[in-house]
Amino acid sequence: MDLTFTPEQTAFQEELRTWFAANRPTDPPDDEDAAYQWRRQWQKTLHGAGLAGVHWPKEYGGRGATLSETAIFFEELGRAGAPLPADVLGLLLAGPTLMVWGSQEQKDRLLPTILDAEESWCQGFSEPDAGSDFGAVKTRAVKDGDDWVVTGQKVWTSGAQYAKWCMLVARTGDPAEAGGPAKHKGLTYFVLDMESPGVEVRPLVQITGSPEFNELFLDEVRIPDSAVVGGVGNGWKVALTTLMNERAGLAFFLQVRLRQQLDALVDRAAGAGGTDGVIDDPVVADKIADLHLRTEALRLLAWKGLTAIERYGQPGPEGSLGKWLWSETNQQLVEVAADVFGSEALIDGEPWAYELLRARGNSIEGGTTEIQKNIVAERVLGLPRV
Amino acid sequence: MRFELSEDQQEIQRTARELLAERSSFTQVRAAGEARREDDALWAELRDLGWPGIAVDEAHGGSGLGVIELAAIAEELGRAVAPVPFLGTALAGLVVQHDASDGDRERWLPGLASGELRGAVTLPGDAVPVPGASDEGLVVVAGADGPQLHAPGSGVAVAVDAIDPTRGHGRVTVAGAAPRDGGPGGGLDRATIVVAAELVGVLQRALEATVDYVKDRKQFGVPVGSFQAVKHEAAQMLRDVEVAKVLVANAAWVADAGDQAKLSEAAALAKAAASAAGRRVSAQAIQLHGGIGFTWEADLHWLFKRAQIDAVLLGGAGHHRQRIARYAVPRAAAAV
Ligand SMILES: Cc1cc2nc3c(=O)[nH]c(=O)nc-3n(C[C@H](O)[C@H](O)[C@H](O)COP(=O)(O)OP(=O)(O)OC[C@H]3O[C@@H](n4cnc5c(N)ncnc54)[C@H](O)[C@@H]3O)c2cc1C
Repeated sequence: MDLTFTPEQTAFQEELRTWFAANRPTDPPDDEDAAYQWRRQWQKTLHGAGLAGVHWPKEYGGRGATLSETAIFFEELGRAGAPLPADVLGLLLAGPTLMVWGSQEQKDRLLPTILDAEESWCQGFSEPDAGSDFGAVKTRAVKDGDDWVVTGQKVWTSGAQYAKWCMLVARTGDPAEAGGPAKHKGLTYFVLDMESPGVEVRPLVQITGSPEFNELFLDEVRIPDSAVVGGVGNGWKVALTTLMNERAGLAFFLQVRLRQQLDALVDRAAGAGGTDGVIDDPVVADKIADLHLRTEALRLLAWKGLTAIERYGQPGPEGSLGKWLWSETNQQLVEVAADVFGSEALIDGEPWAYELLRARGNSIEGGTTEIQKNIVAERVLGLPRV
Repeated sequence: MRFELSEDQQEIQRTARELLAERSSFTQVRAAGEARREDDALWAELRDLGWPGIAVDEAHGGSGLGVIELAAIAEELGRAVAPVPFLGTALAGLVVQHDASDGDRERWLPGLASGELRGAVTLPGDAVPVPGASDEGLVVVAGADGPQLHAPGSGVAVAVDAIDPTRGHGRVTVAGAAPRDGGPGGGLDRATIVVAAELVGVLQRALEATVDYVKDRKQFGVPVGSFQAVKHEAAQMLRDVEVAKVLVANAAWVADAGDQAKLSEAAALAKAAASAAGRRVSAQAIQLHGGIGFTWEADLHWLFKRAQIDAVLLGGAGHHRQRIARYAVPRAAAAV
C-alpha cells in the first residue's frame, strides 16, 4: 500500500493547480446553446495548454499521460470547479475507439478536430427498441455500390444537436437476427457525418426542462464504405471498446465533484451563511455521515481500480461497482440537499433544483443500475446467465 | 499510488490463509464452538509463530510490524472464524503501546506480545460481550482520558456465554462515555481498524460461500443463482464488502504511513462501513442459502455470530457515523 503520489505526480498536480488557478473559466451563461459554446471555448483553452487530451498518446497530439496522471488531471479539473470539456464523447469515447479500430485515414481526418474542439461527437447506440438490450438495434445499413444506405431511428442521443460526427451502430446482417440469439453478429460500427442528407435531429426535452438529448432519424442516409470502423460485422466488439472507455477517467472527476457538492451541503447544514445548523439534527447528521463515507469509498475504489488496471491490464469489479455506487450516492445527496436547502431545491431555475432532477438520469445513462448489478453478478461473481 | 499489499504483506496473508485452511476448518471451528472451548493447540502454534506480537514494537518483544500486517492476519482469522483469543490480545497490545504510559508498556507488552497474557479492549459504558475479556487477562477500558488498565484478578470482567461460542467473552461494565477520538496516541483507532479488518474477513468468507452455494443449488430446474433477485442481492453483498475493504485498507495505511491527523476519521469510516456490512452481508448469506442456511449444520452461523459481536465491538455503525458527521464539518469549512 502506498497512497501517496510520486514526486513527478505531485509536480504534475502542482502544475495543474497553478494552471487552473490562472485559467479558471468565467461563470457559465444560462442559455443552453451559449453554455455549450462556453464549454467549447474551455476545451480550446485546455487544448492550447496541451490539456484537452492528457490521456491521448503523443502520436495523436495528446500528452501521453499515464493512467495515474490522467486520474490526477480529472481530479484537479473537478477540484478547480471547472467544467468538463465540451466534447467529452469525442475525447473519452470516439477518440480512443478510433485509436484502436480506426483506419489510418480515419485517424488522420478525425482525431485532430476532436482535440481542438472544431468538431464534436455524439453516440448513436440506443434505439426505441434497443436500450439495455443494445444488441437488438434495428437501424439497417444496406450496401449500395461503394456506399452504405442507412435507415432507422436512434434515441437519447446526447449532444446530437451540436455534433458533426456520430458513433453509429447499425445492422448490416440479416434483419431477422435483431431479436434472436445471433443478434450481436450482424452489427457494424460507422462514423456518420451528421450533415449528410437524410439525417434529422429532433430535440427531446428531459425532466429538467432542457433538451440535452435528442431523437435521431436516419432516412436513406448514404455513408461511404471508408467510414466503417473495425470491419463489417464487427460492430459489437468495436462498441464494447467505446463502452469500456466510458467510465475511465470520468470516475475521478465525478468523485471529486461529489465531494465538492457534499462539502457545500455540509457547510450550509452546519450553519455557515447564517442559516440553521441542521447538522444538529441527528437524522440529517447520519445521512451526511453516510454520504461522506460513500464519497470516500468512491475515491478509494477509483484508485484501487486503477491499480488493478496497471497490474493486470484490465479493470477489476471497481468499475461497475463505482458507477452504481456513484449514481445512488449522487441521488441521495440531492435528496439530502432538498432537506437542507428547503425550498431553494424546489424552485425552478435554482441550481439545487436542477441537480435534484438531473440526478434521476444517473442510474439510467451509461447502463442502468439493474444492468450494472447484472454485470457484477455475472462477470465478477460468475453467477450463471439463465 | 499503489492500492494493494506489498509482496511481503501478501506473503504474510498467504501464509496465514494456508495455515488456517488446515488448522481452522469449519470442522475444527465446530468442535471448538460446540464444546465452548478455544483451540489451545492452535493458539500455542500461533504464539510460536509470533502472531500476537506482530505489531508490538521490538523493544517489548514484538515483531515491530504495522497495522497493515496485523489487519491482514486479523482478516484471515476472521475468514477462518479461528477459535483463538487472538483479537482481544492484539487489540490490547495496540492500545497499551500507543495510548498507555511507559511503565505500563514495560509491564504489559512483553506478555501480550508473546501471548502468555491475554487481553481485551472495550469502551466505557458499553455492555457488549467483549472477546478475550476474563479475570485471567488484562482488560483495557479505552476512555476519553486514555485507557484504564485492569490487571488480571481485578474482577472487572464477568464471563458470559456470548452467541459466538468459538471464543471466550466477558462483560465489562465501567461507567463513562465512549471517547469521540481514538485514544491519545491513536491506539484505540488502530484497535478499531483491526476489528473492522476481522469483520471484512468474516464477510468475504460469507460472500464466497453464498456465491458457491447459489451456483450449485437448483430449483425450478436451474441454479438459484440464475434468478435475478438472487443475483442482485449477491451483487449488493459484494458492494458492501468492497466498500468496507477499501476503507479498512485506507485506514490501516493511514495508521502506518499516513497523516496522523486523519487517523481518527479514517478509523471511524472503516468501522462504520464494516459494522453496517457485517450485519447485512452475514444476514443475506443465510437468506440466500434458504432453509439449510438456518441450520446448525450449515456452518454459516459461525460467521453470522462472529459478525454480530465484531459489528458492535468498539462501537457500532451508529456510534462511528456520529463521529464521521463531526469530521465532515471542519473538512467542508476548510474546502469552501
Ligand atoms: C441522460 C441520458 C443520456 C443518454 N445519452 C445517450 C447517448 O448519448 N447515446 C446513447 O446511445 N444512449 C444514451 N442514453 C440511453 C441509455 O443508455 C439508455 O436509456 C439505457 O441504456 C437504458 O435503456 P432504455 O432507456 O431503453 O431502458 P430499458 O432498457 O427499456 O429499461 C427499462 C427498465 O428495465 C430495466 N431492465 C432492462 N433490462 C433489464 C435486465 N436485463 N435486467 C434487469 N432489469 C432490466 C432497466 O434497468 C430499467 O429500469 C442516455 C440516457 C440518459 C438517461
